[in-house]
Amino acid sequence: MVKTGLGGTMVRAGRRLLSSLPALFGVLVFTFLLMRVLPGDPAVFFASGPNAGKEEIEQIRKQMGLDKSVPEQLVFYLSDIGHGNLGRSMMTGQPVLKDLRERLPASLELTFTALLIALIAAVPLGVIAALRPGSVVDHGVRLFCALGVCVPTFVSGLLLIYVFYYLLGLAPDPTGRIDVFTSLPPQRTGFLSIDFLLAGDLEGWWAACKQLILPAVSMALFVIAPLARITRASMLVSLGSDFVRTARSVGLSWRKVVVTYALRNAILPVITIAGIVFSTMLGANVLVEKVFSWPGVASYALDALLSSDYAPVQGFVLLMASLFVLVNLVVDICYGIADPRVSIE
Amino acid sequence: MRFVSFRPATCILATTALLLIATAPSQAQTRAETLRYVTGASVNTLDPNIPGSTRESFALSMSTYDRLVAFGRKQLNGKWVFDLDTITGELAESYDVSPDGLKLTFRLRKDAKFQDGSPVTADDVKWSLDRCVTAPILGKAQLLTGSLTSADQFKVIDPYTIEVTLPKPDKLALPNLATVYPMIINSKLAKQHATADDPWATAWLKENTAGSGAYVIETFKPGEQVIVKRNEAWNRGSANKPAFFKRVIIQSVPEPATRANLVERGDADLVVDLQASDVQALEAKGKLQVISTPQYNSITFVSMNNQIPPFDNVNVRRAIAFALPYEDMFKAALFGRGAPLFGANWPDGKPLNGIYPFQQPVKIDLDKAREYLKAAGLPEGFSTTFSFNVGQASTAEPMAALVKESLGKIGIKVDIQKLPDAQMSTQINEKKLPFFTEGIVAWLPSTDYFYRNFYTGNQRWNYSSINNPELAEIAQGARFEPDKAKYEEAGRKLNAMHADLMPQIMLWQPNQDAVMAPSIAGYTYEFHRQVDYRDVSRK
Repeated sequence: MVKTGLGGTMVRAGRRLLSSLPALFGVLVFTFLLMRVLPGDPAVFFASGPNAGKEEIEQIRKQMGLDKSVPEQLVFYLSDIGHGNLGRSMMTGQPVLKDLRERLPASLELTFTALLIALIAAVPLGVIAALRPGSVVDHGVRLFCALGVCVPTFVSGLLLIYVFYYLLGLAPDPTGRIDVFTSLPPQRTGFLSIDFLLAGDLEGWWAACKQLILPAVSMALFVIAPLARITRASMLVSLGSDFVRTARSVGLSWRKVVVTYALRNAILPVITIAGIVFSTMLGANVLVEKVFSWPGVASYALDALLSSDYAPVQGFVLLMASLFVLVNLVVDICYGIADPRVSIE
Repeated sequence: MRFVSFRPATCILATTALLLIATAPSQAQTRAETLRYVTGASVNTLDPNIPGSTRESFALSMSTYDRLVAFGRKQLNGKWVFDLDTITGELAESYDVSPDGLKLTFRLRKDAKFQDGSPVTADDVKWSLDRCVTAPILGKAQLLTGSLTSADQFKVIDPYTIEVTLPKPDKLALPNLATVYPMIINSKLAKQHATADDPWATAWLKENTAGSGAYVIETFKPGEQVIVKRNEAWNRGSANKPAFFKRVIIQSVPEPATRANLVERGDADLVVDLQASDVQALEAKGKLQVISTPQYNSITFVSMNNQIPPFDNVNVRRAIAFALPYEDMFKAALFGRGAPLFGANWPDGKPLNGIYPFQQPVKIDLDKAREYLKAAGLPEGFSTTFSFNVGQASTAEPMAALVKESLGKIGIKVDIQKLPDAQMSTQINEKKLPFFTEGIVAWLPSTDYFYRNFYTGNQRWNYSSINNPELAEIAQGARFEPDKAKYEEAGRKLNAMHADLMPQIMLWQPNQDAVMAPSIAGYTYEFHRQVDYRDVSRK
């Protein structure tokens, strides 16, 4: 059966979504068991007041439901998830769902911005390198990429803070999404840069953007390399192919040849990598979040993991798994748009 | 057309400029009246009694709630620290202790109001203290150390008088009422939010405050920041004035280097949890005020489990005590920022006084260590693991390397084990670690308190798992000893036993390094080891 166009893509996407449900369930149970297997008793950790004794530890254990057997805990956990309850974090004292809902937009805003910066930088770099392989430009791009990958994000983050905040005083203090003295816009999307615009507060918008630039750049630096390399490689293949030679030979403009024919055909692997990079960034930007005091989900999960706070870690993994499924879907849909042939099954 | 298309941009620019001009002066003014405090930790509950609450939550509650009494302050080597021996009224206008020490009577201030405007009465005090000893909260275990265990002990005499009766004349009863937990809650307000399952409104008080304290919660974002504004009606401060700062921002900044940058650039006013290396650099630059106070109610140990071989042999423990490179460890871990608890000289082999913690008469002496090992029947040495937690890595890691190197010289092979914090506390609680480093803190640091809580019983805080009936008996006896000379004598005995049995090795008391803008005054080292925002002001 052959289906083309948007309809086909949507059907395919729906099918993908359904087939990912068992995987999500697996992740759920696996994380749950993994957290229980890890050594470290959260009750003992949290009962750390100067006088906390056995009684306090038992109290916390009961509060966290750890006094029950593991299978019982799992049943309770699954039924809670079914009711949309992810449990309560001991660390922040808040329901995990509320924590994640407040922190996810922060992480997403940062990751989207970083990915956007990375793509804007990486695609042209890759294309330029592919147009003149072996030239000085190509080597320059290679060097830049190697540097970006070599320097861990927290080092580049600290370096950027040192130069732009500490030495030059150009950047605002690296403490979260907004200057503490700026009042927040009414929350609509959770993305500060959008909320400020919706509220018509340009000053606030600029303040939020200034806070965003440094962390986004230090994250982008790290992922420019894979994106630029993949763009270069697939552009090289594309530029060497028959249709480009034909296009050149019939005297089409440079722009038409490179952008319309070569790049459009070369972009598929870049989209795949961008999808993977996005998912990785969302979970792995914990160092950037820590350095810039960014109230995101990754640093939240790391803190929870260190203190064996089960509920937030489980909630985070579930969130990440769901996002991964979503990102894959979006990538699929992008495929369909970039190359209609993909929709044929 | 082109001209028209420029207009909006010009408009925006002009508006922005106008806004900037309009807001600049008022903002500058509020900045001077605002204290911005940055910390690596965070506030996780507004009621410090909730199990799992952080130290930042303790500090915040000191400003949002009042207690019956408060600790005074004194100067120690030119720095302000809390004074356990001076207890002043906070909500109590005055208090009496009966001659037999069994009755404490508190007369409340008649002008004290809760933040909702209702007066603070003896009923509120009784409800709050009852809650502390009855509800399943942290206050229970703390007040137990002051013989406060039952609601029957608190009696309302009249609306402004409350009486506390004690089964024994316990010296720690009064100081206990000045600690974090027995805060006075607006009982009428809290009762409205109590449920059948939760008669003490713990769930509601976790997210809300109902106090009479110096500051009112403005925003509370757990894990990010808390902003409080001044309670103008509060007059329990030193000079019957409200607190100095109109607003206090308590902000979580996890990265220590960023905290150092913030305070150096003047964007933050005060920070107490910088890395020792950063503090040293900032102190050398001389632009900021650095107030370093040895945390005289806390101790860092190298602990040995006295029940696990070979550490059950006293000579092995003595060997370790003489094989540690104390000076090097002190410099590597803390850059020497603290008070050492090693290297004392006891001329007649007896303790110099009865105060705990004390400086131990130990220093590195490998020949002596080898002799002790021989006496223990282990001349060839043995293998063991040395554990520390990840949260302490910046100080414990260099220290562990030095321990390993030095013990290697007397034939003890050490494997270094770095454990996540929750794992470390679990293993300590289960008494599974043979050899590790950890710290303790006591809010009410008296000799008997330390020995009773950290050297007796099969419980978590007895790191060395020492089980010595004689030591336990002396410590218990000292608790209710009214005679100062006898108490001192008991302390000397305990200290002598400690030096002889060497259950664990006291290393040092790390400094609390408070780094602040030059304009900040009044900083005091408090028992909870955080900043009391009511203490500080701007010059």
